[in-house]
Amino acid sequence: MLTRTCLGGGAAAALSSLSPSIRRCSFLFPSVQQTLLLPFSPRLASYRISPSPRRFSASAAVATEEEHKVAAAVKPPQWKAAIDFKWIRDNKDVVAANITNRNSSANLELVLDLYEKFLNLQKEVERLRAERNAVASKMKGKLEPSVRQALVEEGKNLKEGLVALEEDLVQLSDQLQLEAQCIPNSTHPDVPMGGEESSVVRKMVGNPKEFGFDVKDHLQLGKDLDLFDFDAAAEVSGSKFYYLKNEAVLLEMALVNWAIAQVSKRGFTPLITPEIVRSSVVEKCGFQPRGQNTQVYSIQGSDQCLIGTAEIPVGGIHMDSILSESDLPLKYVAYSHCFRTEAGAAGAATRGMYRVHQFSKVEMFVFCRPEDSDSYHEELIAIEEELFSSLGLHFKTLDMATGDLGAPAYRKFDVEAWMPGLGRYGEISSASNCTDYQSRRLGIRFRPTPPEGVQNSKKGKGAGSAPTRFVHTLNATACAVPRMLVCLLENFQQENGSVIIPDVLRPYMGGLDVISPK
Amino acid sequence: MLTRTCLGGGAAAALSSLSPSIRRCSLLFPSVQQTLLLPFSPRLASYRISPSPRRFSASAAVATEEEHKAAVAVKPPQWKAAIDFKWIRDNKDVVAANITNRNSNANLELVLDLYEKFLNLQKEVERLRAERNAVASKMKGKLEPSVRQALVEEGKNLKEGLVALEEDLVQLSDQLQLEAQCIPNSTHPDVPVGGEESSVARKMVGNPKEFGFDVKDHLQLGKDLDLFDFDAAAEVSGSKFYYLKNEAVLLEMALVNWAIAQVSKRGFTPLITPEIVRSSVVEKCGFQPRGQNTQVYSIQGSDQCLIGTAEIPVGGIHMDSILSESDLPLKYVAYSHCFRTEAGAAGAATRGMYRVHQFSKVEMFVFCRPEDSDSYHEELIAIEEELFSSLGLHFKTLDMATGDLGAPAYRKFDVEAWMPGLGRYGEISSASNCTDYQSRRLGIRFHPTPPEGVQNPKKGKGAGSAPTRFVHTLNATACAVPRMLVCLLENFQQENGSVVIPDVLRPYMGGLDVISPK
Repeated sequence: MLTRTCLGGGAAAALSSLSPSIRRCSFLFPSVQQTLLLPFSPRLASYRISPSPRRFSASAAVATEEEHKVAAAVKPPQWKAAIDFKWIRDNKDVVAANITNRNSSANLELVLDLYEKFLNLQKEVERLRAERNAVASKMKGKLEPSVRQALVEEGKNLKEGLVALEEDLVQLSDQLQLEAQCIPNSTHPDVPMGGEESSVVRKMVGNPKEFGFDVKDHLQLGKDLDLFDFDAAAEVSGSKFYYLKNEAVLLEMALVNWAIAQVSKRGFTPLITPEIVRSSVVEKCGFQPRGQNTQVYSIQGSDQCLIGTAEIPVGGIHMDSILSESDLPLKYVAYSHCFRTEAGAAGAATRGMYRVHQFSKVEMFVFCRPEDSDSYHEELIAIEEELFSSLGLHFKTLDMATGDLGAPAYRKFDVEAWMPGLGRYGEISSASNCTDYQSRRLGIRFRPTPPEGVQNSKKGKGAGSAPTRFVHTLNATACAVPRMLVCLLENFQQENGSVIIPDVLRPYMGGLDVISPK
Repeated sequence: MLTRTCLGGGAAAALSSLSPSIRRCSLLFPSVQQTLLLPFSPRLASYRISPSPRRFSASAAVATEEEHKAAVAVKPPQWKAAIDFKWIRDNKDVVAANITNRNSNANLELVLDLYEKFLNLQKEVERLRAERNAVASKMKGKLEPSVRQALVEEGKNLKEGLVALEEDLVQLSDQLQLEAQCIPNSTHPDVPVGGEESSVARKMVGNPKEFGFDVKDHLQLGKDLDLFDFDAAAEVSGSKFYYLKNEAVLLEMALVNWAIAQVSKRGFTPLITPEIVRSSVVEKCGFQPRGQNTQVYSIQGSDQCLIGTAEIPVGGIHMDSILSESDLPLKYVAYSHCFRTEAGAAGAATRGMYRVHQFSKVEMFVFCRPEDSDSYHEELIAIEEELFSSLGLHFKTLDMATGDLGAPAYRKFDVEAWMPGLGRYGEISSASNCTDYQSRRLGIRFHPTPPEGVQNPKKGKGAGSAPTRFVHTLNATACAVPRMLVCLLENFQQENGSVVIPDVLRPYMGGLDVISPK
């Protein structure tokens, strides 16, 4: 009876401890539901359309007032990134400085606050589970009916409290996830700080070509040589669409064939990718498929989008999988068409082929071990430099400043080539090391090979295997066709109006060496 | 005064004639508004989602009950086809038989009824306009105030009646347009009448290859040779999407390059087209971008679609223009990616690459004089036959039966090649003569050149020019990549699991002559 009373007392104590604990909990989380729906919601709403995830354009944009005003209902995330919250908490000064340097709209304080609340609530939930289990244990064996009744009551109360707290925990975890997804990748220590003007030239190849005549821009050349039709495309499709005609078709095919051949001979596996993908994959790669100023075309009546770059389907090819260390690096060279709304690009450099809604691109992509990503980044930019040098272009390679990095990039090298007709340098490619930003979202890990000679004593499942690690991903443009066309036409135009084809492309154009007026 | 009375009497007569005429009109058009919204609307609603316009699949489908039930509000057409209503009326027996032969759900009786009503209403409107003008003439000069007042009243009544009738006329014209758009193209007299089984083989090339071993299908070959990845694409994009890998990428590029080279050397202008187009252009080409079972992917929040074939943007390239006869024929060979929902294709031959959502295709397209379209149709099928022969395929060419023609086709030749792994013939291309069906919708005409020696006595604008005529359009597949891959892999597989590349493609694959297991 004492035991039972003790048990009962224990149960009562447990019950009485439940209420304060719930109250304490309610204090910690004044009303989680309310908290989530009220004070946080403007912020969360702004997240849903936050531009902090990368756009296709190079610069990290800042949310406009309009974007903030469009409040969306807070929904649970469709997928979860494996974000290292503990690391963020333990390195909050570094993270805060990084957010500032990158002009990110991420709210670190809120993330830390949510994380602390999450941990506390999690502890509370665990404590209650333990109590519930203790009560359940006490109920094993023979008991006085009144004691049993008290235990039943206690168990019931515990369960009810637990259910409510578990729901809160899920919601808190969702909010934490959504907020933390806004935090950009960390930044390579060598990346220059500041806005675009702070980007540092890494390399300069060639010199602007001297012309003894008035140069034409690519639009004029295209018109004179009957290579494009923007007018018909404006009627059929809309502005910034185009038909390629005659030798421009051969030139595009040659560029694509040449780029695939050059890159694949360096050990990259050729791919042709889907151009319609699930929106979630777009998001996991760090792009924002929704919202007013999205760069992404969505398919009506489905959760699918058109890709803006082959980086998305190539990144996704190993989604939710565990690779073995010996598989790495996985290097791909992917050809796809790319589609971009170019919303908000009015007024930007939009003349002719420079900024268009649809184009062909050959993209390089690497999955590698974390310790190798810096050197693959160097390899990728070196390949780009070789490719553009062999075409005879004058260009510079830039180490892009923090303010110009999209959320996934740890470091980004851009190549800007001289475009004599436009009279300026224009971006023709980009090489980014995304470290584990994308792999934590796409769920791509690898199992390290145990060092040779080390024999794990345990056998069987999991024997000898170190914990999995996230791969690093890198992407880099091998050849974005329209900007290449701008460069080739404008740089290799002749006084008689013809355009010389670079040597390296001629084998891919049936030996054609010049595009002459008809 | 008599004159005035006469005038007044005339005015009164005019007024009294107005009422009966309106009444008569109302009798003819019991209540046009009501007529349009009630008795016609189920039919019209069904039109809006009518499957009578061609799907991408070869067969003309029949509307389901569900489709008929999904009634849509009647809207004015976004664009108008230049339909020759008079010809339809004067050849109604021919048109009726054609509609029956082609399993079309066009409602000829309704079209004829609407056309008669339209003509009568048009006459009435013209008559009233003349009366109104007569009244206006009478009001010139000095008049007794009472007479003027009577004329003013009369003019006002006429105007009011006219405005109402003119509105009715617009609505009637819209309905007539919508109904008449359902009428399929007429049919070449040699086309076999009946369902798909009535199609007639025109030509048979080669024989099914004999294999001394168990053949694999392309899916198995693709797996063994590491050429496709359908599984990753299912995760990233959805079912029936795929990645091409390794030599399959080279093979696709080779097929596209080879097809463009082969066709362009026959005088076709190469094009690379937009793959996003306005929905109206899709409709004008005879495809149905809306409705439950549409084959067309639409872009969210815009009036744009993805193309299912380059036929659409190439057809549109001369939209709303008048060509000169000397420009004709205009022959294009266009490369594009194609996107199809394949709604309703479940259960059809869907294994592997045979039916997929996205693929590359090289398409031929001809704009020509009406008198030349039959011979260009022969030219197009001859080119297809040469292309497939040179690849070493076994195939047959069919003259497709009436029941298998889409609405735009006057005649259609299909090529079906032997696919040993699938163990059957499969469609690999199609060549259609659409005569003026598309050009009447796309607004593509030409100015006939006056016969030499004939001098028109009139000079100046329009001098010597015969009336414009609609061009004829033809389209034909040069190379639909996935079906070619099926054919090449399955036909040229070797006992050791490798696949031999056809000679003609080797120059486009850097000399590669065989795909061997890795």
